[in-house]
Amino acid sequence: MGTFKVAVDEDLCIGAGQCVLVAPQIFDQDDRGLVILLDATPPPALHEAARKAAKLCPARAITIEEPDA
Amino acid sequence: MHEDFAPLPRFPFRRTDPTQPPAEYARARATRPVYPVSLWDGRRAWLLTRYDDVRAVVADPRFSGEFANPGFPAVTAARVVVDRNERAFVGMDNPRHDHYRRMFTNEFSARRMMALRPKIAAIGNRLIDDLLTMAQPADLVAHMAVPFPSLVMCDLVGSPYEDHVFIMECAAARHGLTQTPDQAERKARELAGYFLQLIERKEQAPGDDFVSRIVAEHVRTGNLSREDFAEVGAMILRAGHDTTTNMIGLGTLLLLDHPEQAAAVRDDPEVVPGAIEELLRYVSPVQFAPRRVALEDVEIAGVLIRKGEGVFALNPAANRDPAMFDDPDRLDVRRDASHHLAFGFGIHQCLGQMLARIELQVVFPLLLQRMPNLRVAASEGEIRFKDDMQIYGVHNLPVAWSWARSR
Repeated sequence: MGTFKVAVDEDLCIGAGQCVLVAPQIFDQDDRGLVILLDATPPPALHEAARKAAKLCPARAITIEEPDA
Repeated sequence: MHEDFAPLPRFPFRRTDPTQPPAEYARARATRPVYPVSLWDGRRAWLLTRYDDVRAVVADPRFSGEFANPGFPAVTAARVVVDRNERAFVGMDNPRHDHYRRMFTNEFSARRMMALRPKIAAIGNRLIDDLLTMAQPADLVAHMAVPFPSLVMCDLVGSPYEDHVFIMECAAARHGLTQTPDQAERKARELAGYFLQLIERKEQAPGDDFVSRIVAEHVRTGNLSREDFAEVGAMILRAGHDTTTNMIGLGTLLLLDHPEQAAAVRDDPEVVPGAIEELLRYVSPVQFAPRRVALEDVEIAGVLIRKGEGVFALNPAANRDPAMFDDPDRLDVRRDASHHLAFGFGIHQCLGQMLARIELQVVFPLLLQRMPNLRVAASEGEIRFKDDMQIYGVHNLPVAWSWARSR
C-alpha cells in the first residue's frame, strides 16, 4: 500500500501549460510561467486528471507514484 | 533491416484529398512506419508515421533539434538557408533552449492568455460586425482568418496593426515551398530588423506590452541582447500570424462540412474546448514538423537511422494513428483528442499554444452564432488549398450567410 503522489521537476518545465489546463486543482504556473504543484496528494476524484497531465506534459516534468495494488 | 537501392519517393507528397493528409502516410504506417524518402537535394530522410514513435523520437536526446546541424532536414533549399541562420531557441537543443525559452514562458502562460479572452472576443466581434456589412460571398480568410490573429498579436506584442501585411509576407516567405533561398533569407532578415526597431521604440517609450516587459526584465538586465530578442520576436510574429490563420480557414471549412458538429460548437459551450483539440488534431497545419537529426546511429522500430540523417516526426501522421485515435479520419468534436501532437511534443512544443487555443475557442462559436446559416459559397475548384506552403490551410474561403437563423 501507499498513497497516490504527484511530483514535478521544475528544472524540466517549459511552461507549456497543459497541466494547468487539465488539472487546475493540482497545478498552477508561477510568475515565470513554470509549474507549481498545488497538491502533491490529490483526492481520488482528481487522479485521472493528474495522470492525464503527466501524459500530456511535453517535457515529462510530471511523475505520478501510484499506490501498490 | 532494409537497405534501399530503388529510388526513394520524393518528399513532400501531394495531397489527393485536400482536407486529408497525403495518403502515403497511412500506407507507410501500415507497412513501413519508419519510412525512407528523398528530399529536394536527393538526401535520404526518414518519416515517422506512428504516434508512439513521434513522441519518443522528439524527446530522445540521441536526436537533435539544432537547426544549424548540417544534417538537419528541410523540405526546400530556401528552408535550409533560413534554418542555418536561425538564432531563436526554436532551433536550439538544451541547455540553451530552456535558458532562452524561460525568458518568454510567462508571457504565454495559461493564466495570462485566459485573461485575454474578453479582448480577443471583442476583436472577433468587431471583425464580424464588418463582415456582416459586406457583399456576399465574402472571403472568410481575408476578412477573419488573417486579421483576427494578426490583431490579437499586434495588441499582445505592441506592433502597429498596419504592419501586419508586411509580417504576413515575411511569414509566407519562410513558410512557402516556392521561394528562392535569397528571397526567404531576405524576408527573415527584414522581419528581425523590423522587430529590432520595435524594441528600440519600446525602449524609448515603454507600454503595457510584451516587448516592453521583456526589455525591462531581460534586455536591460543584460540577460538577453537586443539582437537575440529580435530573432525570438520575429519567430513569435511569424508563428502568431500564420498558424491560427490556417486553423480558422480550414477549421471553418471542416465544420461547415459537418453541420451537426458545427451546431454543437455553436450551441454548447461545453463542447468547444474539446472541439478545438479535435480540429487541431484533424488539421495539424504545421505539417512537416517536428524535425530532428540523429546524433548517432539509432534503431527505431527495427529501422537503422544513421548518424547525421534527418527525421520528420510527422504530427499530421501521428494525429491520424488508429492505435491512438479510433476511426482517426472521422472528425468528431466530441472525442477526447487532447493528446494530439499538433503543437509538437518535447521541449519545442508550441510556446503560443494557450493563445492559439483561446483564439480558436472564441472564433468558431462567434462565427457560427453571429453569421446565421454560414455556408461555403464556392464553386468547384474555387477554394485554393495551400499546397504551396509548409503550413497547410486555405488561401481563400468564400462564404455566405443569411439574416434569420433557421434551425
